[in-house]
This record gives sequence, structure tokens and C-alpha cells, in this order.
Amino acid sequence: MSAVAAVALPQRFLSARALRERLAARGIWFAPIRHHSPACAKATKAMIAALEPAAVLIEAPAEYDELLPALTAPATTPPVAILALRKTEAGTLSSFFPLADFSPEWVALREAAARGIKTAFIDRSWIGLGAAAETSELAEERYYAQSQALTQLAHLEHCRDHDELWEHLFELRETDWQTHCDDAFAWSALARLDYETEVLLTEGSIPREAVMVDHIAKWQADTSRPLVVVTGAFHTLGLVEALGVKLFGEKIPEAEPILKHKIPNPEKADSWLIRYDLTRLNALTGYGAGIRSPGYYQRRWDVAASPKELVLNSLADIAKLTNAANTSEIISTAAVIEAALQAHRLAELRGHSFPGRTDLLDACSSCFASGELNPAIRDAIGEVFGGTKLGVLPEGTPAPPIVAEARVLAEKLRLNVSDSSRRNTTIDVRRSASGRRRSRFLWLMSFLDVGFARFIAGPDYISGRNLGRINEQWEYAWTPMVEAQLIALTTQGATLPEVARARLRASAPEPDSRSCGAVAAIIAQAALIGLSDEMTHAMIRLDQMITADVDLGSVVTTAEKLFGLWHSRDLLDIAEPQRLLRLISRVLPQVGYLLDKTADVKAEDEPAVVAACIAAHALIKDCENVASSQAELDAAADFMSTASVTAAFARLPERSDVSPGVLGAVLALGVVNSQIADELLSEKVAAIFAPGADVSYSLRFLDGLMQAAPDLFLHTPELFDAVNQAIAKLEPDAFLNFLPELRRSFGRLRPVETAKVAERIALHTGVASADIAASNLMLTAADLAAGVRLEQALRGGLIADGLDAWVEVSNE
Amino acid sequence: MPTKSIRVPAEEQFADELERLRAADEQAAAAIPPGWQLSPRGVRAFVIGEPKLQVSRKFYGDDPLVDRAIVTLLGKQGLMLVGEPGTAKSMLSELLAAAISGNSNLVVQGTAGTTEDHIRYSWNYALLLAEGPSRRSLVPSPIFQAMESGKLARVEEITRAAPEIQDTMVSLMSEKQLMVPELGADARVSAREGFNIIATANIRDRGVNEMSAALKRRFNFELVKPIADREFEIELISRQLDAELGAERQNVTVERPVLELLVTAFRDLRLGETAEGTAIKRPEAVMSTAEAVNVAFAAALEARYLGDGTLSAAHVAHQIVGAALKDNAEDAARFRYYIDTVVRERGRRDREWKDFQNAAAAIWR
Repeated sequence: MSAVAAVALPQRFLSARALRERLAARGIWFAPIRHHSPACAKATKAMIAALEPAAVLIEAPAEYDELLPALTAPATTPPVAILALRKTEAGTLSSFFPLADFSPEWVALREAAARGIKTAFIDRSWIGLGAAAETSELAEERYYAQSQALTQLAHLEHCRDHDELWEHLFELRETDWQTHCDDAFAWSALARLDYETEVLLTEGSIPREAVMVDHIAKWQADTSRPLVVVTGAFHTLGLVEALGVKLFGEKIPEAEPILKHKIPNPEKADSWLIRYDLTRLNALTGYGAGIRSPGYYQRRWDVAASPKELVLNSLADIAKLTNAANTSEIISTAAVIEAALQAHRLAELRGHSFPGRTDLLDACSSCFASGELNPAIRDAIGEVFGGTKLGVLPEGTPAPPIVAEARVLAEKLRLNVSDSSRRNTTIDVRRSASGRRRSRFLWLMSFLDVGFARFIAGPDYISGRNLGRINEQWEYAWTPMVEAQLIALTTQGATLPEVARARLRASAPEPDSRSCGAVAAIIAQAALIGLSDEMTHAMIRLDQMITADVDLGSVVTTAEKLFGLWHSRDLLDIAEPQRLLRLISRVLPQVGYLLDKTADVKAEDEPAVVAACIAAHALIKDCENVASSQAELDAAADFMSTASVTAAFARLPERSDVSPGVLGAVLALGVVNSQIADELLSEKVAAIFAPGADVSYSLRFLDGLMQAAPDLFLHTPELFDAVNQAIAKLEPDAFLNFLPELRRSFGRLRPVETAKVAERIALHTGVASADIAASNLMLTAADLAAGVRLEQALRGGLIADGLDAWVEVSNE
Repeated sequence: MPTKSIRVPAEEQFADELERLRAADEQAAAAIPPGWQLSPRGVRAFVIGEPKLQVSRKFYGDDPLVDRAIVTLLGKQGLMLVGEPGTAKSMLSELLAAAISGNSNLVVQGTAGTTEDHIRYSWNYALLLAEGPSRRSLVPSPIFQAMESGKLARVEEITRAAPEIQDTMVSLMSEKQLMVPELGADARVSAREGFNIIATANIRDRGVNEMSAALKRRFNFELVKPIADREFEIELISRQLDAELGAERQNVTVERPVLELLVTAFRDLRLGETAEGTAIKRPEAVMSTAEAVNVAFAAALEARYLGDGTLSAAHVAHQIVGAALKDNAEDAARFRYYIDTVVRERGRRDREWKDFQNAAAAIWR
């Protein structure tokens, strides 16, 4: 071939080339391919048609043979992939073997099926290779990318990299299959010769080739008719050399490692045929295996006869997408035509039979951009060249049942899963039962974490946030990754509810855990995804562990969560919502109990405990409201009784061992809710701030109070005076010591309240409030006089203009 | 004895290469676009080299860009080469004009003083007064001449010209004809096949005069980037230095480590990041390959006439000041920072860098 021949070909390659011809004479025909290369696909097809071989042997793990019926079924439409799963210590690992319309392996499979020729996979199982083993395709592509020889050749041919070189040499030339295979063999041999045996051994190429040689030799012994061997071109040199030794007794030291490699017993990974999409086939999206610009190659494959159409359609689609993005960048029809001409001229200049990927991209860069490409255009090019096509599997493909289940459910709920595009949906769960079912399903899928649904906005029942919102907003996309994730989940259960159940239970706290809060979260999650049996299960567990939980915060949060579910009971379609109330009734005494026990708290824990007290207090109100509206539901005396909590609150101020912050908070809450007389507060304040009192104790009290009801400080003159005096009496050093606590306490006031406090202090100390105001502008009497004069002048002016009314209004 | 001209146009400098390419086109019966001197492939070979025909490579680093530029000139659109200063935009434009039209001298230089006359035509006023408006008294602009003769016209630094002057080109480019009402109602010059325009613009000049959307639409834009490969830049500078020095080359010893130092310093400062990945302060000054060649050339002359004939890191340090950093006080601080950190660190291990540091420190204190 012209170009590859431009570099000096080493002797080892020349010998292998001769050997390859001898093997062909013996009936072993190699189709050296680059994965997902349309040119290789065409050549392979032509080769099969010309040779009518006894069998077509394809480089893929032998255990995939089971999937041949599904692969060759007429309804199967690429992109599809074989997914293999294997369990390791690190978890379940997955491997994909993707096939596009234009993948040589796919074309070989279909061509053989159409001609009634046997097909077989001949590669080693992926299981036997090390945990870090890549797929064969990935490894080969890496070898090409890093090959010195190919980089050099690319440079000679004025190509940017090995990919452009491949396109230039193979995809854009019209040749017969023999020439194509010769050239592809030379191309890959150049790369192969850059690598040492050790590398090939450790990275898995030689172990694979040993298995392939074994298979090929067995097939060859069984037939006198030709065989077509479709493998990554990178392996052809090794296979040819090893078979040369094996069949012709040649002496080739380089083939020894392959022949000496021990053939392992057949191993098996669980595998399925799944739908795949071009987005994932795009090497640029980082899923590893694939090619650049699969969208372009798909388009080319589809309109093989008309390059003109390919160019114009691609460019027009880029323009359409760019213009639809509504940025300032608009691509005119004139620019599209210009770009099409540019692409054709570039192809001609570069000697391409028709515009290739790089010609088109170069044309876009020339005609659609002023300097750097605008992001909208870049995205549009990415979409057109990346492609979005999703494969189709025939009905009844033995896909793991969970995939079909999720799909059918999604379809039933009128979610569009016909392709892999991202879509948005807004659900009003108040309006219809179907909307609620949709919401349940989306929450379920989001819980399963399969990458299908993403909650964007709306009421969050688990955290209890935004419960006032009406609509749930979701984004979803049925991508092959979703299918793969679903399949991966089958290790946890066969159906969606089964998996969800398993996952819910797995996320439940350990049996000896005492945290009610975690169980309450599971109840909420189960309610959200519509697993009422799991909800019941968790509620029973909660009921049993309530008394064991000694954390007031956790218990109060539990009650809050249950209340949240109760309020959303209709939206979540919770069966028997009264059970929630009963459970709350069970939680309340524990709250009372724990309140009693919160007496002695360390200073650093105080804010958290005070927060729990405040929440517990709010709980009383919630309960009273619900109990009065639901009184007819239950006549039992203890139903929703808040007595224990109220009593505990009443007891706390009386106790001598109560910690000061809690005391402050409880008194404040009592006064604000008129459960405690103002006098009691004044009395306590007088005692706590009396001369000789421990200032740190006093300040903890103050902080608790301020946390619960900051405005009390303004409305309780005794408190105000006591604090003021206590601070005034502090030694400067002591004051500095307490300053951080004081800051925290007064930081709980709103700005307006702070200003009022400042005013009040000013009054007390006889300072003009203006003097201590932060906004003191240091105005002088002269400023005032000037201001008065200006005002009078304005007034005079307005009245002179007959605008007396304005002046009167401003007086008001 | 009269001295040689400092510079000859590309079509003269490389006349023999052009001749060989023309012969090769003829031999291969290559299709030559109307108005062109060479086939598109011949033009490409002229710019990026063809060893078989002993045609040297003249533009480095981005072959696909050259393809796109040539193909653009085949069409109706003009070619706009944009990029940082010193990225060989003007050289590429000259090479293309030389290869395509055999004439790279039809140039309009964009400046604040560029007027419509420079784009359209003006008059020989003595003749105009004597004969009235006539073809003889008309002084055609380079663009006028290019239209008349079907050649490429070059507009350098187009964004330096005022927008209304730039816009004179809009109708000229879309209609491919120029009215000359002074010579009669129908008088006009229609562009012959082969006419097109190559314009260049500096990215850093964007603020000077923004191009109108109407004008932008008439051009395909190509962004010329600085050379990405360090090794290659060293090789290129070495070669260009040889060419610039000409006969003087034999009197100066140029060692590779000094050129490496020069290129490394330029790359560090250009990218705002050292080869090791340390972020440094990036000067405003243009640190292009072309500037590096200028520095190397000046340093070599210093070595030849003021030194011992060996180009040293100290010479490079002396010349970087005037040639690259000009008189920007901020840049001086950035460069000093570079000396105090990166250069000092390298100076501990490497003699050249130590020399560079000492010489630079003496100037920049």
C-alpha cells in the first residue's frame, strides 16, 4: 500500500506477511479489523461473501456463543452490547462488548447468518484475566494511540494523530477487500512491533491469543473448507506467527510465549445482550471502548451511496441545533452551503474519495466560527457527530427481567423511554392518582440509583423541606447505562420491589442500633417509593426501639418525620395513616422521659439540647392540632396525649439540677406560650443575676433563653436590667472572657431588635442614642442649618409651582 | 557597492521551488483552478514542503490549517487568519499569495491612517487636473489591481483600520466588483477569476477595532496557534536563526543548551506555567516564536560583535529585555519574579540558567 509502505517495513513483518499467505492457502483467512471501523466491516463482509467459509470465528469470549441466537435475530438492531458481569472482592464488575451497525464483528455475524455459515466466538473469557484487565478493544486502541511507528506515519501523512491517519488511509479509500486486509495487517503490525513481549503478556494480549490459536487450530483440523477469522488487527501478527509454528513447524522465537501459554479451563461470566447507544460508543465520552464520532459513521453507514447528502444533512443539522439553542450565534443557510463546499474541497485536496470526519469538522471550523468555536456550535457538532441512536432488541430477548419490568412500568406511566434523550416532567401529585403513581416510580428509580431519574425540585418528604410546593419536577433518561445498572441490581433481587426492599433493609441501622431517627428515615423512604409492606416493617421496628433511644434530638426528629408523613398521607397514598399517629403517641412519652433526663447538660452540648427542647415544644402544638381534628378517630384515653411532655416541661424549672441553658429555654417557651407566669421568669432572673452569682451560669441561662425566644429580652424589663447590670459590673478582663458567649446570645436577635436594645442601653446610660448608633455620621450644627435651609427652599419652590399638595403629603 | 535588499518576496526567494512545483503539476496534468498558478496540492506542498521535489517546509505546526486555508481561497469567502502576534500569520498569507498568484505584493496595511483610497483607488492629481478623470490618472489600490488581474490581495492587521474603512470591503467582497463613477456611470472593474482576499488580525488587537458582523460573514476564520511542541520549536528557532544570520552564521557558535534555555523561558512566560507545571506570572508582552527568533538573532549578533563569538545565556538575558519585554513596568516585575523563583531554582542545578540569572539580575535590579 502506498502510505504504509512509505516507512521501512521490518523483516519480521515481511516474514509474517508471507506466512499469512501460506495460512490462507491452508484455508485460514484473517480479517484484521479495527473495532467499529466501517471500512473493515465492508471488507469483512466482502471476504465472507467471496470465500463462503465453513465458519466465521470472531474475537469475543467463547461463552458469548449462548447469545448468538439473540444476536442474529432479525429484529435485533444495533447499537447493542453484550454485557458480562463477574463478582469480585471489589464488588460486581461489568464489561461491555458494543456492536454498532458498522462494527465488523456485527457485520460478520449477520453476513454469516444470512448465508447459513456457522459462527463462533474464540476469545478467552474475561473472567480469567486479572481484576484490572481491560476489554480487548480498549487495550488495542491504547496500543495504537501510543505507537511510535503510527505517530511517525501520521506525521508523514500530515495527519494530527493515529485516528486521523486511520481514516485517511482506510475509511476514505475505495479498495477491494484483499488490499484492505493487507494494509490493515501492515498498519497494526507496525504498532505491534513497538511493544515488547513482557508488556503483551502482562496486559493480557498473549493469554488471549493463546486461547484464540487453540480454537482456530481445532476448527482447522475439523474442516477442509476455508475459515474466516475476525480479530482485532493488533492480534493478527501474533496469531499468524503462532499458527505458522503450529501448522508448518516454522521456527519463530517471538511466537513461543503464545504457544507456551497454558490454556485455562473454560470459564463463564453471566452475560446478556442489552441495548446500547451511540453516545456511549463515542470514545470521547470516556466510557472507554468505542470510536470517535460514531454519529458521523452511523450517518455515513445509513447513506452510504450519497456523500453529498451526508455532508449537507450533517451540516444542516448542526446549524439547526445551534440556531435552536437561542444564543447570539446563528448559522445561516449560506454558511451551511459554504461549509459543504469547503468539506468537499478539503476531501479533494487530501485525496479522499468523499468528505471524512476530519474534513467535515475542518469545514465547520472554517465556516462556522470566527476564531474559537462558540460553545453552542461546539455542542451542536458534538451532538451530530456523537449521535444518539439507541439499539433495539427483539421482544423476548432474554434480558434480565428487571429491565423489562422497569421499562414496561415507565411506559405504562407515560414516561418516554423510546430513546436515550434527557426529558423533563412535572408532576402535580395533588391532582391525580396517576401522577402520584408516576412520582412513586420516579422516587423508586432514584432510590435504586440507576441513573434514570433525578429529582430537581418540589416537596421533599424525607427531609421535610418545601412541603408547601405543589409540583414535583423530574429529569429522566432511559440510557443503556440504566439498563446495565438495572441488570447489575439483579444480584439483589429479581424484581424492582425486591431490589428496593433489599436495599432498604440494607440501609437500615444495625439491630443493636438505638437510633430511631434512622428508622424514621426508612419509613419515609418506603412511603415515598410505595413499599407499604416495608413501611409497616420499619414502623414495627421503630415501635420496639423507641424506648431504647436516649437521644432527645433523635426522638424528637422521629416524631417530626412521622408528622411530616401524616400531613402528606394523601399525596403519598399511605395506607392506614392512623398508624402513624399511634406511633407518634408512642414517641411522646419517651420525649417526656428524656426531657426529665436532660437536666444536667454540659455547656458545649447545651445548644443542641435546647434546640431539641424547642422542637419538643413545637411537637405539643402539632399534636394538639391533630388530636382535636382527629378526635373522632380514636377514643382511647392516651391517644396523642401530650401530657407527659407538658408535665416534663412544667417540672424542669422547679428542679435544682437543671442546666442553666435548658432552664432559660424552658422558661422562655413557657412564658411565650402563657404556661408559665411572667412573675416566675422575673423571679428566676433576679436570682440568677443577683450580686455574687456565677456569671458563666448566668450567661448560659441567657443564651438558652435567647435561643428559644429572643424577643423576650426586650419585653422583660427585669431581665433587661439584670443583664445590663451584670455586664456593667464585670471586670474588663472577665468581660473580654465572656464576650464570645455574649456575642452568640445577642446574635440571635434580629437587626431591628438589636437596634432597640441599643436604644434602650443608650437611655439607661444617659448617652444620646445617636452617639452609639453604628450609622453615626458626625453631623455638625452647620450641616443641620444647611439641611433646614435646603428643605425650606424646596418647599418654597414646590409651593410656588402650585404643588402645595405634595408638601402636605410629605408632612404627614 | 549597493547592498542587497533586506527582504525579497516569497515568490522571488523560492522561485526555483515554485518552478519545480509548476512542472510537477504539468507533468501530472493536475487540475489548476482558474486564475491560480499552481494546483491546490502544489500550493500545499509549497507551504508545508515536499521532500521529493526538494520543496522546503515553510510553515510549521498545523497542516490541517493550511489545507483549510487553501480550500477557503478556492471559494467565494475571504480568508481571515487570526491569532496571537508572532504566530506567522503574515508569513502564511505571503506564502499562499506567492504560490497561488505568483505575487505576494498586493498588500494593504491596516493602520489607524488607512483610508478608503487605500482599499479602492485614488488619483494622480497632476494628471487628474491636466486630463480629468481617466484610467491613466487613476491610481489603483492593491485590491483594485488584484481584482483586475485575478490575484490574491492581502490585508494586514485589518482590525487596526477604522470600522468604516473595513466596511468598504464588504460590498467589494460580496459583489466582486468595484464601481468607478468618476469614469462614467457604468465604469467598474469586475474581479477576474483568481481574485480573493487574505486578511490577518491579531487577537490582542480585538479592542482596537471590532469587525462588523457583515464583514465577518465574508470571511472564513482560521485561528493560527503558537507552536505546541517544545522540541520542534527549538529546531525551528535554530533553523530560522541560521537563515537570519546568513553568512554571519559561521562566525558565531550556537550551542543547543542555550537555545533550549531561550525556548524554555519563552514557553514558560507565554503559557504562564513552567514545564514542571508551576504557575508563574504571565507577562503582557508577546512571547511568540517569532520574538524568540528576534532575541536569538540579537543575542547572536551581540556574541559576534561584542562578545567572544559564542552565544551564551547571558547574551540571551540581555536581549530578552529589549526585544521581548519592551518597557512595561508590570512586565518587569513579572519577569523579575520569574528570575527570582524559577530561574534561581534552575540555576542551582544548571550552569546556563545560572549565567542567565546573573546577567538578568544585573539588569533588573
